[in-house]
Amino acid sequence: MALARLLFVTGKGGTGKSTVAAALAYALSLGRPTILADLDSRMSAASMLLGAPMTGGTGGRAGATLEVVALSAHAELEAFMRRIVPVAAISRRMLKSRTFGYVTAALPGLEAFLMLERLRIMGGDAALEDRYVVVDGPASGSALELLAVARGVKGIAPVGSLNRIAHSVESFLVDPERFGVVLTVTPEELAIREALELSAALREHLGIATVAAIMNRIPAALFSKKELEEIDGLEAHLALAHRRERERSAAGRARKEFLRAGVPMIELEMLYRPAMGRPEIAELGATLAAEMPAR
Amino acid sequence: MNRLELAGCKLAICLGPGGVGKTTISAALAIDGACNGRAVDVMTVDPAPRLLDALGLNADASEPREVALDSIALAAGAARRGRLRALRLDPRSTFDAIVRRYAATPAAAEAIISGRIYANLASAFAGVADYMAMEKLLELAAEPTADFIVLDTPPAAEALDFLDAPRRLLELLGSRAVSLLGTRQGRFGSGVVDLAARAVLSAFDLVTGLKLLGDVQAFVRNFEGMYEGFAERASRARAMLHAESTAVIVVTTAEAGRIAQAGEFIAALRKAELRVRAVIVNRAMADLPNVAEISRAKMPAALKRKLKRNLADYAALKTREAISFETLRAAMPTGAALMLSSELEHEPRTLADLAQIGARIHRG
Repeated sequence: MALARLLFVTGKGGTGKSTVAAALAYALSLGRPTILADLDSRMSAASMLLGAPMTGGTGGRAGATLEVVALSAHAELEAFMRRIVPVAAISRRMLKSRTFGYVTAALPGLEAFLMLERLRIMGGDAALEDRYVVVDGPASGSALELLAVARGVKGIAPVGSLNRIAHSVESFLVDPERFGVVLTVTPEELAIREALELSAALREHLGIATVAAIMNRIPAALFSKKELEEIDGLEAHLALAHRRERERSAAGRARKEFLRAGVPMIELEMLYRPAMGRPEIAELGATLAAEMPAR
Repeated sequence: MNRLELAGCKLAICLGPGGVGKTTISAALAIDGACNGRAVDVMTVDPAPRLLDALGLNADASEPREVALDSIALAAGAARRGRLRALRLDPRSTFDAIVRRYAATPAAAEAIISGRIYANLASAFAGVADYMAMEKLLELAAEPTADFIVLDTPPAAEALDFLDAPRRLLELLGSRAVSLLGTRQGRFGSGVVDLAARAVLSAFDLVTGLKLLGDVQAFVRNFEGMYEGFAERASRARAMLHAESTAVIVVTTAEAGRIAQAGEFIAALRKAELRVRAVIVNRAMADLPNVAEISRAKMPAALKRKLKRNLADYAALKTREAISFETLRAAMPTGAALMLSSELEHEPRTLADLAQIGARIHRG
């Protein structure tokens, strides 16, 4: 299957969403030019790729074929205002005015919606120019809200430019050529359940397909069942060995559940390292490049 | 074990980044208080289904429900068991209730509640859940039955999201900016900029098809007169947060990203002049066993090698955690205790699991 041009990475908090987004962008950049679009104000995925904290600024280059950009909802709103209010002096005033800030706060879907429109444009451009975009999206709960916002906008704006944009955003989100969701998950019951629920909700309510679930932090196999039984005494060591095998078997069970849900599961090994830096991102990226190659 | 001392506190507020287990820690602290003889109310926000089950709550438990503590052992030294009530914050229904309480007439209340602006405001304006958590807190505090309240807070990117909620909502409802959009002249009159803003908003409506201006005007008209009630409650909530008997607790995990976020929370709280009582690191790794034990044991050499490899793997993670702790120690507020909550072997499922977490929180 050809990979969607824009991959939207989301998952439960603490499942390594930013790490996986960074590794996926790295992996795709080995085949085609790739942009990592960071929606998180903390820019942790972007910083991991750049190898230094990215604070402020709008982007940078993390390799010959890998670019990072920061996306902010407020910047999208500004751009939109500049488009619909042709007199620059007025649109600037407007954006500075607290009145307008409060009105957009009362319609919080607006900024999110314009962000989706931005992703639609990026996905379209990527298809035209044979590139990829990886989005480090919000955690699962907010991701569903964000992706559902176009539907809400259609409801409150039955005519006009926002309605037209809502239609094109909706057709972008259900087009597997251009848009796909990637879920991050760890071998823990709660994370697995949340990913399965999100994938079902996206499919049922919004018609959005999940490209893959990436299971992060799976311990490499070490002990056989027989060996675990042979460990005599050494309670604390035995507990540690069991913990490792417990996480492995949770991953195994999850594989079956994702299969049943029609979601391919890609596995990333736990890296037992004192720190996660660029070499680790490259290592995880190499696994992803083999499993999810750029076309 | 050096415990977190909350005996003198009437209120504990758990703040922290998303996904660190704030709700779990809040519930654990509440149960621990009840096991030590106190009458405790705990308000959870967006709990995982399993936690709801553990607390015996169902989806619409927006009023406090008594939690049966029979299965939980009394804390050592406690003379009697207290009691625990739990509820789940439902921002929308709390907001509806307030509107009904303060609106001039029942008809005005219904007009607000059924309006488009309110529907958006109540379900999606980021500050609403935070504000409603404060409202519910005032309600609970007004009932004389609880001597200790534990407050879980909505997921937020920054500490100030929660602390600022009342101010932001009040500004939205009562500002000169919004009143200018109403039918009457703004409180301070309207200047050229405001007239321009109004003209541009009309243009905005025309282009976008939102017809926003009319709705905002109706909303503001209906809200008139309710502002005073909101303002008064917000300032009471603010006073409660700053009270000496309130413990502000920052919850985090040892993951590098969360520690950085926790540091930002701490800085924001300092700026807001709120004293942090404790920082709790949730799901901290337990101490690792000694490698010499493996060498001494009688078992096949191959298995010994595997056990050593496994230990070395977890030791690397422990080093990663230690680096995080160093960062956290440097960011600790003065006078705050660094506490650890060790991870259980499984995710907490029962009241007993939560009680165990509460009883095991110790100084790090």
